[in-house]
Amino acid sequence: MKKLHKKILCTLLSVSMLAVLTACGGKDDTAKTTDTSASVSKDGSVAVFYYTYGDTYISSVRAALDSALDGAGIKYQDYDSNNSQTTQSEQVTTALTQGATVLVVNLVDTGSDDAAKNIITQANGVPVIFFNRSVSEEAVTSSDKCVFVGTDYEMAGHMQGEMIGNYLLENYDTLDLNGDGTISYVMFKGQEGNAEADARTKYGQEDADAILTGAGKPALSFYDVANTNKYLVDQTGSWSSAAATEYMQTIMSQYSEANNNMVELVIANNDEMAIGAVTALQNAGYNKDGATVIPVFGVDATDAAKDAIEAGSMIGTIKQDAEGMANTIANITANFMDGKAAFDGVDSANVVGTWRVNIPYATYTGK
Amino acid sequence: MTEKDKLKKVGDILLNNAMYIIIAAAVVYIAIMRPAFIKLPSIVNILSLTAAKLPIALGIGGCIVLTGTDISAGRVVGLTACISASLLTTVFKVFPDMASAAPLPLVLLLVIGVGALVGFINGFSVAKFKLHPFIVTLSTQLIVYGIILMYLMRGVNNGQTLSGLSENYRSFITGTLFTIGGVAVPKYVLYSLILTIIMWVIWNKTTFGKNMFAVGSNEEAANVSGVNVMRTIIMVFMLAGMMYGITGFLDGARIASANANTGLNYECDAIAACVIGGVSFVGGIGRISGIVVGVLLLQIIFTGLNFLSVDANMLYIIKGLIILIACAIDMRKYLVRK
Repeated sequence: MKKLHKKILCTLLSVSMLAVLTACGGKDDTAKTTDTSASVSKDGSVAVFYYTYGDTYISSVRAALDSALDGAGIKYQDYDSNNSQTTQSEQVTTALTQGATVLVVNLVDTGSDDAAKNIITQANGVPVIFFNRSVSEEAVTSSDKCVFVGTDYEMAGHMQGEMIGNYLLENYDTLDLNGDGTISYVMFKGQEGNAEADARTKYGQEDADAILTGAGKPALSFYDVANTNKYLVDQTGSWSSAAATEYMQTIMSQYSEANNNMVELVIANNDEMAIGAVTALQNAGYNKDGATVIPVFGVDATDAAKDAIEAGSMIGTIKQDAEGMANTIANITANFMDGKAAFDGVDSANVVGTWRVNIPYATYTGK
Repeated sequence: MTEKDKLKKVGDILLNNAMYIIIAAAVVYIAIMRPAFIKLPSIVNILSLTAAKLPIALGIGGCIVLTGTDISAGRVVGLTACISASLLTTVFKVFPDMASAAPLPLVLLLVIGVGALVGFINGFSVAKFKLHPFIVTLSTQLIVYGIILMYLMRGVNNGQTLSGLSENYRSFITGTLFTIGGVAVPKYVLYSLILTIIMWVIWNKTTFGKNMFAVGSNEEAANVSGVNVMRTIIMVFMLAGMMYGITGFLDGARIASANANTGLNYECDAIAACVIGGVSFVGGIGRISGIVVGVLLLQIIFTGLNFLSVDANMLYIIKGLIILIACAIDMRKYLVRK
């Protein structure tokens, strides 16, 4: 009797867990198995590896790529590498044994070439399309069936810096709250040891400085002179809004308009952190209708950031074109499957040599 | 009493109160270096950040008293923050059919319920299958993360960050409770205070609280003396889950944006705070006041180091050392008692 009781409880527990799962997976999963209405379904299948499902920008690429592949009638399977190169490499092995004919890889480990080369070797002639997270030219060109679709990642920082510099010049006197002639700023860095974060942190400030000094204004000054890094980094390395909110709140407990040393500019490595800073500013009575707006800049152009820019609580961001990237990947995938040249039909202005496509960034200020 | 005994006693008192002494020393040092640290805006800042991190620590404390732990806490905070942010918003991306924000109390009850459900699964698996809480909550941590990701893909959201929260939700959490010397104290400080009082009453004045400590110090003995061990364990985890739900509700509005990373690693700081505050992994030992002190200490150190412009890399080292020292002192007390 007792045993039966146990069994019933076990079953109930599993059923309730399943119920939760299915309730959440409500979105039409049928679209994922793609032999649906699409006109010509192609032979072979694509395996797509995302470095993590937890990344907001990558999620928008995933949504766009899923629908682009659906539209082209290509079968695909998505993998979440969960921020682990080990997981991803194992998933690649699995996908190849399942007979994937094209690999689309959002590499996890961008620190060295080894992970990328390992995947190319494993693929052994199966075309590999790397995207978003940078892979070196040497690795990509080691196989003639390998290409990279990405962005010139340093551009994001350069464009952010340029946008900031120009904005500051236009509004210099209103922004210089204490009238000391220099703009004090804070820089929120997403993560240590990430090439993109490093570049954005460097150029976001340097390029703004270049424009300011070029126009005869003094360079930006970091709000805390004792901080030699000249940035505050998310301790968890996750580019999170929570980190920025808490830093900003702490900063404002020491630096304020009342003390005549308020931070006059916020530069963030991504929109998450920008939004986090905006939240803290709003909680302190800034960046709302009719209140003083401390300019906040981010990168990514997420929906949340666009809404904030629309509402006037944030100034600008750099748009990474998720759809453009997804469509280009789908285009190249179809080319590989049809045996055409890899870059057939891709905007030639964006093609670099024979190995790379750069999806252009754009500034976004809502105007 | 000989001279030697006296010295030993003084030494004991110093060691047993080492955490308070460290806090005091740290505050004095930072205040000398940066006088702004002990000015009103800074104190309010530290208190409000402490208040924000308190509920999750209060929840996890119970699990530690049972000699367990709960590493699903952060993800439950993430899930409940996402649920709150998706329902109490002005742009309904997860539920495109909704026209206006759901009633505040309903959402609060919902997230408490979700937290309690995860807590129930944790507690039930620990009590019934005799699994170590680390394994159980590792599993639920993963399951909950999967659910968060699916939840964020719902509707037309496509995994995007949830924002555009309704004004009455944000003002309910971050609105001004009262203004002191021109510095606004946010409302969530009050909520945190209420939760602390409730938890104090539960831990100290109820049979359930006494049973929790009994089960924590010796499960067998508690069982023999008529305590329903299974029910106690389940309730401790459910209570913890409710606390995470509330944390998620508060954090959703406090950060005003929720995504798949919200709540990530929150449990690490919460567990650290409990341990620093004397909630012992040995089991059956811990006080609410200790947890409050632990959270406060961590916050003072972090904010202080930030004021001192200490290199971020050093923060990890300092945090690690504090936890190590706190545990060593804690264990020493326990060994002496034995």
